[in-house]
Amino acid sequence: MVDPVYEVLARSALVSLTASLVAAMIGIPLGTWLALARIPGRGVVTALVNTGMAVPTVVVGLFVAMLLWRSGPLGDLDLIYTVRGMIIAQVLIATPLITSITMAAIQLLPPELPGHLRSLGANRWQVVSRIWVEARLPLLAAAMAGFGHAISEVGSATIVGGNIHGHTQVMTTAIVENVGRGEFGVALVYGGVLLALAFVVNGVLASVHQRSGAWARS
Amino acid sequence: MGAELTVRGVRISRGGREVLAVDHLDVKPSEHLFVLGPNGAGKTTLLRLLAAVDRPDRGTVEVDGVPIRRLGLAERRRIGYVTQRPALLSTTVLRNVELPLRWRKVPRPRRRAQAQAALERLQVGHLAERPALALSGGEQQRVNLARSLACDPDVLLLDEPAAGLDAEARAIFFADLDHALSDRAVTTVQVTHRPEEALRYADRVVVLVAGAVRQVDMPEMIHRMPADAAVASVVGYDNLVPARATPDGGVRVGDQPVGPVAGNADPGPVVVAAFANALRLGSTDQAGLPAVVRGVSPGPGHRVVLLDGQLPDRRVRLIAHLGLDEPAPSPGDLVSVRFDAALSAVVPSS
Repeated sequence: MVDPVYEVLARSALVSLTASLVAAMIGIPLGTWLALARIPGRGVVTALVNTGMAVPTVVVGLFVAMLLWRSGPLGDLDLIYTVRGMIIAQVLIATPLITSITMAAIQLLPPELPGHLRSLGANRWQVVSRIWVEARLPLLAAAMAGFGHAISEVGSATIVGGNIHGHTQVMTTAIVENVGRGEFGVALVYGGVLLALAFVVNGVLASVHQRSGAWARS
Repeated sequence: MGAELTVRGVRISRGGREVLAVDHLDVKPSEHLFVLGPNGAGKTTLLRLLAAVDRPDRGTVEVDGVPIRRLGLAERRRIGYVTQRPALLSTTVLRNVELPLRWRKVPRPRRRAQAQAALERLQVGHLAERPALALSGGEQQRVNLARSLACDPDVLLLDEPAAGLDAEARAIFFADLDHALSDRAVTTVQVTHRPEEALRYADRVVVLVAGAVRQVDMPEMIHRMPADAAVASVVGYDNLVPARATPDGGVRVGDQPVGPVAGNADPGPVVVAAFANALRLGSTDQAGLPAVVRGVSPGPGHRVVLLDGQLPDRRVRLIAHLGLDEPAPSPGDLVSVRFDAALSAVVPSS
């Protein structure tokens, strides 16, 4: 039995948008801390984050699958071959990218900005939140990059999700399955719909991005 | 009532080099103190200490007796710090000024009124709804200043707030600043490398050279009795000529008397500090320092004459301003130079 396209599409969107959101909630504060903190060991953490961007998604999938496997350390959570398990894997894939872009974006702001905000009377949270507002365009770009990375990956979705029809099949795994069966027409339809989804989501974000940029320059 | 600032035994090093050493400095409540010094003298470093942005390696900085390392948020908010670069935020002018008030939990209607009033005082009220980053440099500086004034600080720290403005814009800016501060009891510390600004607007002037305080005094004293040659240079004396004070109270450059000069100096090596308009050029049969004219060029309301003073062991570059009604020498002419006592001073050589 083949899942309707819209159901697979909705599942893809749910997994990747949720993963991107969670990754942004981790990556943006982590990238900010790495950009602003003056502590020993910062270089090591930065190197680890940058390495994380280069790890193949199948390796992330393998790592998560071993953790979530029924006999694995988190097997009791019963997350293998579930949407939640796939979200966890995609969070691990998108977080290093969002962290790294956030760190670069904040390092591009004037270095005196945090001190300047403090001298205006901002407390620690007010300094950080204002820095995020000032870096809003590249932070949005970081979120877009995280979503793009998550929705286009197939390795971890296959390993952690298992491509179970009606449960964990997403657009990328459906394409792989249909190509394997020689159903290139169906695969092309899935590919086109996936492209349209990515286009719509990124289009919305890009529109916000451009409007913010135009305002800042006007 | 402004706050009192106290600096004791402060030392700051960067890259193994001491960049600031201030043993003793007090700023009285409501005083307008200028920190005058050349680039790299440590002026901004001192201001950042007072703003509690940085901390000293050694020593203490206190605001009304409270060390800056123990200043809470509420006490830090008594200090307004206007940086050399305006560092406005990417929102409207009005919101830039409102934001620090919002952080201080000022109710919205009141903070809007306060922000607008501060902008009006600095003549930029009409720009309130404009994006701050689209303003000119001068407008941004005014908004930057309005942002600090809106919070009604007890201490206002100004780091060359008119840097980058042309002479006319600077004059207007400082007149507006003076007006904005005229009815406020605020302790102001202002950094500049321009002696004319410090001497005109300061209650007292601190001269900072190579990270060390060289003189703290009233503007008139700094102007007429610089503590040493370095201070004289910072204050704007155009000519610093190595000389020797004689036991009879005279001063000789080389073996020539160069006229009566102001200042008390013990016999020994000294420096004659002279403004360009203190130099009197005469013929070589008159007493004075022999010099060769290197060039003559027009200046605003005077002629600029460049000379090489002929000391026994070396040459010293001199600059003289001659009135337009005085006869102008020609390049290559040999002249005798004397100094007008009213426009020169004898200072220790170090």
